[in-house]
Amino acid sequence: MSIQLSNIIESLLFVSAEPLSTEKIKNVLTEYSEQEIEKSIDLILEKYTSHPGGIQIIRTGGGYLFTTRSEHDPWIRRLLRVNRKNKLSSAALETLSTIAYHQPITLAEISAFRGVDATHSLKTLLQKKLVKIVGRKKSPGKPLIYRTSERFLTYFGLDSLKDLPSQEEISKLLEEESDED
Amino acid sequence: MNNTGETDSSIGSSEYQVNLDVFQGPLDLLLFLIRKKKIDIHDIPIATITREYLVYLDKKERINLEREAEFLLVAALLIYIKSQMLLPRERLLDDEEDPRQVLVDRLLEYQKIKAACAILRQKEADELPKWKRDVPPPHFMGEELDLTEISLFNLAEAFFILMKKKERENIQIIMGKEYSMEEKMNEIIEFLKENHYLDFTEYFESHTTIEEALVSFFCLLELIKARTVYAIQETLFQTIKVWLRKESRK
Repeated sequence: MSIQLSNIIESLLFVSAEPLSTEKIKNVLTEYSEQEIEKSIDLILEKYTSHPGGIQIIRTGGGYLFTTRSEHDPWIRRLLRVNRKNKLSSAALETLSTIAYHQPITLAEISAFRGVDATHSLKTLLQKKLVKIVGRKKSPGKPLIYRTSERFLTYFGLDSLKDLPSQEEISKLLEEESDED
Repeated sequence: MNNTGETDSSIGSSEYQVNLDVFQGPLDLLLFLIRKKKIDIHDIPIATITREYLVYLDKKERINLEREAEFLLVAALLIYIKSQMLLPRERLLDDEEDPRQVLVDRLLEYQKIKAACAILRQKEADELPKWKRDVPPPHFMGEELDLTEISLFNLAEAFFILMKKKERENIQIIMGKEYSMEEKMNEIIEFLKENHYLDFTEYFESHTTIEEALVSFFCLLELIKARTVYAIQETLFQTIKVWLRKESRK
């Protein structure tokens, strides 16, 4: 019974290109109880951790997602003829980090935090769909307001915005850095 | 530009010098100098740091205003702070704000963002080798689907691609016709009632002038805003389709 259910859920994960949340699974599998579904999800996760294969399930963006294992990357790239995946530029990452911690935020505010104009890097981030426009600020000029997108979470493997590097992590890193000197 | 990679004797130290270009901005340079000089960020010797800072700017023979204006702005701020500290005060209050506070707050916040960047960079490196399925879900025709509505940004992007295409066609038609928003909007709604949906690319390609296309685009935005229609993209890289909302379909 629960094996069959976990197989159903596994197939739902397979067809999902976006993180699949427990909520969404429950909405689809109306004939099963919430506990049954939760138990079955645990069962699949357990299956994939105890018998590691080429595919794994990661928790990201508020749901579950199938991905390949990192160590298989060289062969996948050979198959797909991809030399390397492009990393974000330093400027883009800085802008993204500013938005992540201070959202909702306008371009002028981002630039003020960084001390440099962020127009260009913001454009890159919009194109990569890592940030989105959520509206306009009710202030002179009605500037656009930006937020990080769902893709932002998946890109960094974060489950939610709560998983952004915490104040403690940041302080620890800064201490380590000053110790190095 | 000039010999930025070499040791500058004006600093009088054997420490390595870095080109201005490697810094993300003036705050980045300031943090670097503070770390290099092992300065307490809460108690910055403004005179020293300003001197050090200006040495970096001096290395540039010419100032490229596009890029270095921001560095100059912070230089001005440093000098302003110094002048504020030199000016005799009429009354000295305990709770009087240190003129350096504005700068310290900005630096601390910036330092935090930089540190978060380093952590995120690591996460990015962890995630990039994990390949996700990016196969678009199969789509079904006819019925209204539970598809993600596209953002204004996607729509505008698609529109500009089309306009670029039109530009290249170099149409030289002089048309005296004026387009009214109202007429166009009704036209779009009629079109949708008849044809079920409107293919974004096809629809705009059928327009002969940029003016008409522009008016149509604004109408479309207006209709989306009024929630009369909605725009969806069924699969990645596919054309955008505009549908009439159920409630508007009489």
